[in-house]
Amino acid sequence: MSRNSVVFWIGAALFLAAVVLMTQVIGNQYPFFAGYVILQFIVLAVAWSILGGYAGYVNFGTSAFFGVGVYTAVFLVKAIGAPLAVQIAAAATVGALLGFAVGLLTLRMQGIFFSIATIAVTIVIETSVTNWRFVGGAAGIQIQRPPVMPPFDNYVQMLFFVQALLVVLAVATARYIQISWIGRGLQALKDDELAAECTGVPTLRLKVLACVISGALMCAAGAPAAMYLQYADPSSAFNLNYSVTVLAMSLIGGTAHWMGPVVGAILLGVTQQLLAVTISSEVNVLVLGIMLVLFVVAAPEGLLGLIGRLVRYRAGGKA
Amino acid sequence: MKRRALFGGVVAVAMVGLTSGVVAQQPPIKIGMSMAQTGGLAGGGKASLLGIEIWRDDVNARGGLLGRKVELVVYDDKSSASETPAIYSKLLDVDKVDFLFAPYATVPTAPLMPLVKQRGLLLMGNFSFQVNSKVGHDMWFNNAPWGPADSWASAFLDLGQKAGGKTMALLTADQEFAQNLALTAREVAKKRGISIVFDQAYPPNTVEFSGIIRALKAAKPDIVYVASYPPDSAGILRAVNEIGIGDDVKIFGGGMVGLQFASVMQNMGSLLNGVVNYNTWLPEPSMYYDGTKAFFETYTKRAVEAKVDPLGYYLAPFGYASGQLLEQAVKATGSLDQKAIAKYLHGNEIKTIVGPIAFSADGERKETATLMAQFRGVVDKNVEQFRSQGKQVILFPDQFKSGDLISPYEAAQK
Repeated sequence: MSRNSVVFWIGAALFLAAVVLMTQVIGNQYPFFAGYVILQFIVLAVAWSILGGYAGYVNFGTSAFFGVGVYTAVFLVKAIGAPLAVQIAAAATVGALLGFAVGLLTLRMQGIFFSIATIAVTIVIETSVTNWRFVGGAAGIQIQRPPVMPPFDNYVQMLFFVQALLVVLAVATARYIQISWIGRGLQALKDDELAAECTGVPTLRLKVLACVISGALMCAAGAPAAMYLQYADPSSAFNLNYSVTVLAMSLIGGTAHWMGPVVGAILLGVTQQLLAVTISSEVNVLVLGIMLVLFVVAAPEGLLGLIGRLVRYRAGGKA
Repeated sequence: MKRRALFGGVVAVAMVGLTSGVVAQQPPIKIGMSMAQTGGLAGGGKASLLGIEIWRDDVNARGGLLGRKVELVVYDDKSSASETPAIYSKLLDVDKVDFLFAPYATVPTAPLMPLVKQRGLLLMGNFSFQVNSKVGHDMWFNNAPWGPADSWASAFLDLGQKAGGKTMALLTADQEFAQNLALTAREVAKKRGISIVFDQAYPPNTVEFSGIIRALKAAKPDIVYVASYPPDSAGILRAVNEIGIGDDVKIFGGGMVGLQFASVMQNMGSLLNGVVNYNTWLPEPSMYYDGTKAFFETYTKRAVEAKVDPLGYYLAPFGYASGQLLEQAVKATGSLDQKAIAKYLHGNEIKTIVGPIAFSADGERKETATLMAQFRGVVDKNVEQFRSQGKQVILFPDQFKSGDLISPYEAAQK
C-alpha cells in the first residue's frame, strides 16, 4: 500500500468513526435527515463521475438508476419483507445489470446521442413502474419501517450510517479506478475513442465496466431512500432533478479527480438544504441556477480545477 | 423643573413600555408546515397558504390563542415527497413548533404519516386523498370535504343514473389522484349495475386527445367520468368541443382537476358549459356561513399582492378552516395538549367558514361535502363572471343544492 492509500483509508476510518459518534451523541433528529440527503448525493455524484467524468459519457439517467434502486427495495419489502442489507445488495445487482444494458448502448451512441438515450431509459422505466400496481403504481405506496437495530436508537440515524458506508465504498471504488489501469484507459477513450482502440485500449470492455460500477452504486444509493421516506411514488423517485443536480455537483466540483464530485456534492447539497429552510421560495431555484452558470463560465474545470490553476499561478508568480 | 418633568415622563413611558413588554413576552404559538411554492403544486400551495395567513392575522387581531400570538413557520417543499421528511424534522427538532399543518396535496403528505404516527402528533391535513387509510393515525384531520372514499364516484354516478344513464366511460390520467378516483368509480359502478363500456388511462402530459375522444364516442356511453389534471382537462374539453361526444351522453365530467382554478376557467370560457365537475366551494347562496363573506373580501384584496388565484374558492377557505378547527379546539380544551385537541376534534362538530365540520374515526369528513356543479351560461375571457351565482349550479349534496341537472350534455353545452 502506498503512503497515499494509507492516508486515504485512515481518513475513511475517521469519517466513519465520526458518523458513529454523531449518532450516539446528537439527540436532535434534523442533522440526520438533512445529512442523509447530502451523503446520498455524494454517492450519486461520485458514481456519476465514474462514467461521466473519467469516460466522458454524460449520463442523464441518474434518476432512472436511483428510482430503480428505490423500487427494488419497495418490491423486496412488499414481497418478502427483506431486511435493509438485502435491499441494498439486490438494488446494486439490479443496478449493475441495468448499467450493463446502458453500457451496450455506448456501442452505437456517443456524445449527445448517448445522453438523450439515457433520458429515454428513465422515461421507459418510469412509465413501466407507473403501470405496475404491485408496487403501488401511479398512486405510490406507503411502507412501514421495521424496528431499528442496536446500537442505533432511531431508524434515520441507522440510515445515515448506512449511507456513510456507501459513501466510503463509492469513493474508494472511484479512487481505485482513477489510479489504476482502468482510469488511464477511460481517460484515453475520453480524449479520443478511436485512437485509444487503435493503440490497444479495450474501449468497449472499459465502458461497460464503468457503466456497471456506476449503475450499481447509484441503485445502491437509491435503495435506502424507500425506508427514509417510508413512501415511494414514481414521479418523486424518477424525478429528473436527481439527474440534473448530480450533474451540476460533478461539474461544480470538477470531474478529473475523485475529490471533485465529493466537494461538489457537499457544497451544493449543503447549500440546497440550507436554502430549503432559509429562503424557501422561488428564489432558491434562482440561486442554484446562478451558481451553476457562474461555475460553468468562471471555472469550467470545477472547483478543483480552479484551485489547481490558482496554486499554479501563485507558484509562477513567486518564481 | 420642566426638564425633570420631561425626564419623569420618559421614565414613565419607558416603564409602561417595559411592563407591557413583559405581558406580551409570552412566546408565540408556532405552527409549522411545508407548502409547495415551486413546482407543479405551487399554484394551489400559495393560495392555500394565503388562506392560512388570513386566519393567522384574524386570530392575532382577536388576541391570539390562549393570549399568545400565532406564528407560522413555512418552508418550500418543491412539490416533492422527498423534501418533506427533512423539513418536518427541522420544524419539530430545531424550530420546536407547537402544531403541524400538512403540506398541500397527497404526495408531499404521504411520507409524513408514519412520522406523526410514531411521534404521536396531531396533523391537520390539507387536501390530500386517502393518505391515512393504510396508516390509521388517530390524530389526523383532513380539512378537505372529500368524506368517505367512494362518495366522490357515487355522487357523480347517482346524478348520471337519475338522468337515465346505464353505461359508463372512464377516461383517467395515469397519475396518483386520477387512478384513486378511477378505482372507486369502478367499484361503485359494479355495485350500481352500471356497465363500463370504455376504460382508458392516458399517460401524463398527453396534449392531443382527438383520437381518444373518437374512440370514446364510438363506445356510446351514457355517463362519461373523467379524472384528469389541469393541462389535460383543457385538452380533453377542446377535443370534445371539436369532435362532439354523441347525443347519448347524459352527464360529462366528475374529476377534472384544473376547472376550479381561475386562470384555467378564464381560458376555457364557454367550452366549460354543460360540464358537471367536482368543486369544494362556490359563490352560491347556500355556501355562506359566519365569516365566509368577510374572508373572501380580504382574500380578493390580498390575492392581487400575493399573485395567487384571484378567485381562490378551491383551497383558500379550507386553509382558513384548518386554523379555525385548531383555534376552537384549543379554546375549548384550554390547552396545547395535542391528545386532548385530537379528542375534542373527534367528538365535536366545529363551525367554520366552509360550514360545520365533523370527523369520522379515520380523520376524514363524516359525510362528504364535495360539490358536483354544472357550468352554465359561461362566456369567453371573463374571470369576474365566476364571482356571480348561477355560473356553477350545485347539484350535490342536497344541503347545498342550487339547481337541477340539465341533460343530455349536448343540450347543456348551449
